[in-house]
Order: sequence, then C-alpha cells, then structure tokens
Amino acid sequence: MTDIYIPATSDTPEINFKFSSNTLSMSGEAYPENGVEFFRPILRQLQNHLKALNGDAIEFNFQLTYFNSVSTKIFYSMFELLNEYAKAHPNCVLLNWHHDEEDDTILELGQDVQEDFTWIDFNAVVVA
Amino acid sequence: MLIDLFTVFREEADANGIVFYYSGILSQNVIITMSDSLKQKLQIQDEKGARSRKVFSTFIEMIQNALHYSPGTLDSDDTKEGSIIVGKKEDKYFIICANFIQKQHEMRIRDKIDPILEMSADEIRQAYRTQLKNDQHSDDTISKGAGLGFLTLARDSVEPIQYAIQDAIGYENELSCFYLKATI
Repeated sequence: MTDIYIPATSDTPEINFKFSSNTLSMSGEAYPENGVEFFRPILRQLQNHLKALNGDAIEFNFQLTYFNSVSTKIFYSMFELLNEYAKAHPNCVLLNWHHDEEDDTILELGQDVQEDFTWIDFNAVVVA
Repeated sequence: MLIDLFTVFREEADANGIVFYYSGILSQNVIITMSDSLKQKLQIQDEKGARSRKVFSTFIEMIQNALHYSPGTLDSDDTKEGSIIVGKKEDKYFIICANFIQKQHEMRIRDKIDPILEMSADEIRQAYRTQLKNDQHSDDTISKGAGLGFLTLARDSVEPIQYAIQDAIGYENELSCFYLKATI
C-alpha cells in the first residue's frame, strides 16, 4: 500500500498516512467546500489497508485545530473503521488525540470518541 | 464624491458593535479569505481561545450553509450570494447570516430548525451525538452536509438560535430570504 501525503491548504489538513509504518497523522484545519469528495479516497485507502493487515499496531495522530461539521462526521466514519479493526485485533489501535488546552469543543469531541469507540486505545495529549 | 456615505456606514457599524461585515458573491475562495481576516480581527480583540474558536466555527457553518443552499440569483446562473455580520454587544458576539433560498425549500428548513428551538442544551448535545453516529445516508437528498450544521450552531450558541424567512422582494414566487442568528 502506497503511503498518502497531502500537504495542508487553508481549508484542508495535512494528511500523512504512512501505511508502510502504520503511523497515520492529520493536522491543520478542515473545512473544504465538499468534505465528502475530499476525504472519500483517503477513507477508501485506509479501509483497503486495514483489510490487508493482520494484527499490526496502528498509531493515529489526530492534531487538527479546526474542522467543520461535515468533516467531523467523516472523522467519525474513519474512527469506526479503526474501531472495527481494533475489535478484531484488540490493543492494536492507539489514537493520540491532540487538543489545545483552551479548546473545549475538541476536548469534548475526544470524550465522545472515547465513549463511542471503545476498542481504540485513547490517549489525550494537551497542547499548551 | 460620496465620502460621507462611508462615514455614515462606518459610524452606524461601529455604534452597533459590528466587527466584520460582508455582502456579496460567495465562493470557497472568498470564504477562505474572510476566514483569515476574521481570525486576525478576533486576535486583535484579544479574544480568549475558546470563545474565539466558537465564533469562527459558527461563522464557517453559517457561511458554508449559505454557499451550499443559496440558489444563485435569477439573473446570474450559478453565482451564489450571501451576507454575514459578526458583531459584539454587551460582551456577547452575535453572528447573523442572510441568503436566498428556493421558496420550495422553506418548509424543509423550518422542519429542521423548529425542533432544535424546543430543545434544552442537553437535548441538543444528545441530538448532536445521535446524528454524529448516524452513518445511514439521510433520506434528505437535498442536504449536502452531515445533518449536523444547525445542531453545531445550536450547541455553541449561548442563547437559542433564531431564524426568519421572508419573501424576496421582486422574486416572491421563487425565492425567500433566510436569516439565521447565533450568539457566542
């Protein structure tokens, strides 16, 4: 599986999915005009990659600082894929959830993610 | 020259606590440029992180809503238009967005917002979470979003969101004006 690297723009995040080492990172802001169109190919590749894995440990670094409602919904689908994988392979997915100490929106979403995707190991990282 | 017009406009805007105002053509590029400008203004006002983020988020949800659903005026095929105001009154920010909608979509919008207006803060949060997890494709084929936009606005607004729909003068049979307000 080829790694994905997409540099950040004003309204789309940096996507750095190193499938070769199972280190997946996203940072920046996400409010593209058509979020589904932007993220669909990335989700598809992630899905295909997960199918090919068999118990390899995955580290996901979520470092976004702003994302709109459409992007939020898409990230939930992404976490669902990771949760399914972790259900089949317990303790194999670590989600590093970065949030600014003043950002209660991303903090609260992190709490929801933690409750809704119980197979994923959740690690909150506070950015001062 | 009509320099007086600028003075009148500016004085009126200042008196009403207007921080940011735009009215005109909407595109994603225009939105990106406005976003940069608004972020800088909020920083200059030394706005605390959490609130400034909510003002920004509300701004984006509203203006992208206008971009997605405004039908384009009748005389210009696909040119989207909208207006947005960010202001501050009695230590609260208000964000008001206005755009045309197709008259036939009026009921659909009312059906989406009216139930939210009846909800408590907890119920809004619950509805938001339910919709977030709802990965079924919505029956609503007109929606281009995630069904989360109004709930996101309502969740962040410290007062109930408000809206109004009025006839668009000159286009009464085809278009309505949609106004939406949130308070942060």
